[in-house]
Amino acid sequence: MKDKTTLNAFRQTWKLAVATLLLGCFHGAAAHHPIQGKFDPEQSATMAGVVTKVDWRSPHVHVFMNVNEGNNVVNWAVELENPYILIANGWDDNSLQPGDMIRVSGMKARNGSRQVWGDEVVMAETGRSVYAVSDTSPPKPLAKRPVPRWPDNNRPVLGASPGGVGGLWSYPTEKVLVEDGVDVTMDEYGQLENIADAGKVAPMQDWALARYVHRQERNLMDDPMYLDCKPPGGPRQYQSDLGFQLIEDRKNDRIFVLLGSGNRNYRIIHMDGRNQVGLVTGDDDNPLFYGRSTGSWAGDTLVVETTGFNEGFWFTNGGLPHTDMLTMEERFTRSDFDTLHYEVTINDPGAYTRPWTASWDLSWVGGAGLPFSLCQHNRQ
Amino acid sequence: MYQRLIRSLAVIVGLGMLSGIAVAQEGHPLKGSWIGEWSGNTTHGEFVLLVMDWDGEKVTGMINPGTDNMDIESVDLDPSDWSVEIKAGGYTIDAEIQSLELPSRSLVGTWRSSNGRGDFEIVRQ
Repeated sequence: MKDKTTLNAFRQTWKLAVATLLLGCFHGAAAHHPIQGKFDPEQSATMAGVVTKVDWRSPHVHVFMNVNEGNNVVNWAVELENPYILIANGWDDNSLQPGDMIRVSGMKARNGSRQVWGDEVVMAETGRSVYAVSDTSPPKPLAKRPVPRWPDNNRPVLGASPGGVGGLWSYPTEKVLVEDGVDVTMDEYGQLENIADAGKVAPMQDWALARYVHRQERNLMDDPMYLDCKPPGGPRQYQSDLGFQLIEDRKNDRIFVLLGSGNRNYRIIHMDGRNQVGLVTGDDDNPLFYGRSTGSWAGDTLVVETTGFNEGFWFTNGGLPHTDMLTMEERFTRSDFDTLHYEVTINDPGAYTRPWTASWDLSWVGGAGLPFSLCQHNRQ
Repeated sequence: MYQRLIRSLAVIVGLGMLSGIAVAQEGHPLKGSWIGEWSGNTTHGEFVLLVMDWDGEKVTGMINPGTDNMDIESVDLDPSDWSVEIKAGGYTIDAEIQSLELPSRSLVGTWRSSNGRGDFEIVRQ
């Protein structure tokens, strides 16, 4: 009897942990890529048809459906959210079956192909919504909890408390990199509402501003993170949907940053006082997507200097340019148990006219683990 | 004649070694190695290699037509239309960046010198 009770308790705990992980880890309302790059908000479509296939793959699920157009039956592809986001909302690859009758409304593809972004998918017979997503962000605690600290030196614990429940940092209060104090309106992918605001975002050199505008005018469709699975280096790694973990390897004086996005990339912050390896003007021998980082403590704030970036990626959502002259000073401050304040100073004399700073907060998602996210690039 | 053939072969082999998939470059759009042709150039041959870099204030680099490498003296980039003027070794190149969004973007325009003029087109590698 005792064993059965224990087993049931274990099952309940396990179910709760899985539910917490899934619900806590993913942002329901967040799409995986700037969908306006592929789909046109100005071209809406509504259609009804029969499901022929559900392609349950990262980065986006596709439902294929046969639609009657005049005397012909044509096959349309309905693009949906990332599988992880759909799972977090209770859906799976069996939620729709071939043969199901559905109605779909959404945006048509810009290139005129038979593709539509599925804003709404409903079962034709019952009107029940399928693959709908909502905000799954964790509730804010009623009261601020104190910062956990290491017993030996009283410094803040940056990740999970020793012996405590695991978790990750996610739900950034800003998903776009904009100089602190600047008021511009963008969507969560970094697309400006008004292109005339481009020059306000950061103090860009003329060429960098023109390149940024060019990317904006192309609706961010050239983002190499989506086209070619390039990593989200620079501050972009802290504005991802999928979160990150800070793992303190105190024995070896280093901190691992494990990323939920970018094919589960990681970077290392060396805390042993070594000299910075990356050159100030870039590291031509082996420039990196995440650069080379050294860290130190200033009171309760972890200060990280990073150099040695390559130029093969976008370091922000929205496409602000950078060069291999980029250096970053990042400041991580755990202001309470559930809040991590992140501040970054961008110093890139190759692309900007002066150093500039941006900052935001991230929330602790207790019990969550990093998703196993693998990118499949979109050029093919 | 023989020297010219050897020189052309050397350039072709060199260009072949450099060719391939362009390395992603999301920084300054002129930075990188570019290969292509300046048509009708009887002085230095039709094939040409440019290597350009960006130091935050100016574009530097060289033009390598196979022999007689020339340091680039000046590069003026107008980001409003992505037009470029390059001066080196008595040559003036007026071109425009095309397919800016691609790693394998191109510079298309004309070249001129005291010895002639012609079309100019190079592709970033």
